[in-house]
Amino acid sequence: MKILIADDSRVMRQIVIRTLRQAGYDDHDIVEAEDGADALAKVGSEGPDLVLSDWNMPNMTGIECLQALRAQGSQVPFGFVTSEGSPEMREKAANAGALFLIAKPFNEDTFKEHLDGVIA
Amino acid sequence: MTAQDTGERRRTSDARPVITDLMDEGTILAVAEEAWVSLVGEEEVLVPLAGELPADVVSSWVDVVGPWTGSVVLTTGQATAEALSRALLREAAPEVLEPEDVEDAFGEIANVVGGSVKAALPGPSGLSLPQVGHAPLVRNPVDVCRVDVLWRGEPLTISVQGALPPLPASH
Repeated sequence: MKILIADDSRVMRQIVIRTLRQAGYDDHDIVEAEDGADALAKVGSEGPDLVLSDWNMPNMTGIECLQALRAQGSQVPFGFVTSEGSPEMREKAANAGALFLIAKPFNEDTFKEHLDGVIA
Repeated sequence: MTAQDTGERRRTSDARPVITDLMDEGTILAVAEEAWVSLVGEEEVLVPLAGELPADVVSSWVDVVGPWTGSVVLTTGQATAEALSRALLREAAPEVLEPEDVEDAFGEIANVVGGSVKAALPGPSGLSLPQVGHAPLVRNPVDVCRVDVLWRGEPLTISVQGALPPLPASH
């Protein structure tokens, strides 16, 4: 399975990758994107099976990326990993077609809770 | 009852709360401890004691804009910011840290702490991208809630501070 991780922070991408490993999802291909626009392009070129995206990013936010993907007809499974998890944002994410929203700070248990059943 | 006692002043201040009306040091410390355990490491402890910051400090912060507007600012010595960055990167840390690595890592801690602080404030609010450098000025000394901690014995402060100057005094 190929997982695309979109975050403008390289450090946070590393932490997400490490947490995936700690949660037991350690046998997957990882592709990184540094903002929403990069993620949108890489969904096209890399064909990931899952996108884990930050919300607040320069160039294109995570929610704009998700909306653009759905507008293009892409149904790639998409979840947010973001420092903001207000009820309004959760609702906006769900309405746009996100499977889940993991709020930072997170740990491997949070990942398992949301990703079991999504990652084979 | 006097003609001047209209309650106007109280209503005006109610319309723009200061941070100490909305949260206390305990909330900030709890938010920071949770961020530390998640990002820096499970065994990492913040000791709520003040220490003397060195001369060469660096700050990272995010701005919150909403019913309360201000910044969540972390300040520590340059060497401590570098140690924090190494702790976040762990095995991915390069032998020589670039300034961008420290900006990225120290900024991301402010982002996570700031996101949790924002969640504890009345909303809706927006959160900026993190910035690293010289801390924003304190505009209103009353609109500040600050926690001093030690991480691995080194001082670090977390200041949740308003961006607006005090309202003119009402007479």
